[in-house]
Amino acid sequence: MKNPYKILGIILSVAGAIMAPLFYFFFASVPLTAVALSSIILGLASFFLASARPYISPEASQILLKAGMENTAALLEEIGIRNKAIYLPAKMRNGYPQAIIPVKEDCNIKKIRDKLPGRLIVRYGPDADDMAIAVTTPGSINLEMLESPPGPNAYEIEAAIGYILTGLLDIADGVKVDMTEARVNIDVRNAKMAYEEIWYYYCLGSPIASITAAVSSEALQKPVRILEEKYHKGKYHITLEVLT
Amino acid sequence: MRIFNRLIISLAIAFGIINVLLAFLGQDDISVYFIVNAIAYLIITLLYVYLNPRAKSALNGLSAIIFAAFLVVVTMEVIEILK
Repeated sequence: MKNPYKILGIILSVAGAIMAPLFYFFFASVPLTAVALSSIILGLASFFLASARPYISPEASQILLKAGMENTAALLEEIGIRNKAIYLPAKMRNGYPQAIIPVKEDCNIKKIRDKLPGRLIVRYGPDADDMAIAVTTPGSINLEMLESPPGPNAYEIEAAIGYILTGLLDIADGVKVDMTEARVNIDVRNAKMAYEEIWYYYCLGSPIASITAAVSSEALQKPVRILEEKYHKGKYHITLEVLT
Repeated sequence: MRIFNRLIISLAIAFGIINVLLAFLGQDDISVYFIVNAIAYLIITLLYVYLNPRAKSALNGLSAIIFAAFLVVVTMEVIEILK
């Protein structure tokens, strides 16, 4: 039994259950009995939380994430694409949110058709070189974990990103979202994942930026691009460009 | 699992403060301690809205048990008063 929450829960509950009658009947101390009762409640809370821990270890998850990222990075490097990805809402990608990395540097977003085919290499415009690579990002997968899609305002986007980063993934402590017409500014506090100067991060953004971009794109129902990403001592400042 | 740690620490601090405060005020009724602790538990777990669905449902199960015990204690207190 390696789960520390289960061990803590059992210790607190059993100790509380033994001590409560002792304190009440032998020592006739109500405050100490109350402490024992609190210990039982705390122990039960810890025990119940133990069942909510993920089945696979964080190390195993990290290996899977890294393998996926390296495969995508290898593909991008091989083709020689170094353009910023455009995060598309689900309605533009056959009901599945994804990001496209245009082959051409000056990608005109207005050319993007309403619905792109669900393939790896997609043509988004009428010209022959309007081609892009469509990839699934960490953000795309996390959107499925939301109970309902967020609305197009800063408050709902902040709540959705906070729920994913803090509650589900536990990779940050808090999120602040500020919105203007064509920009979404996001500040992430105490992020556990640092920014790295690698090809994948340059094109698709770090996993944290990817999640914020995917959520914002889905909330606004518009394509979104990661314009800037700054990381300093656990703090992320992400600027997203809303493409219209 | 920092959010789980924060929840457990918040509960421990709240229970500690409540018990010390009630003891300091000279409270000698165990049901009062239980009622206040149960209310603190229900409020604190409600405040953790960002918990994942599995953790939420697990804590909701415990909340239901504590709430049931809370209702029993309150009903007994009311019967005592009406007598």
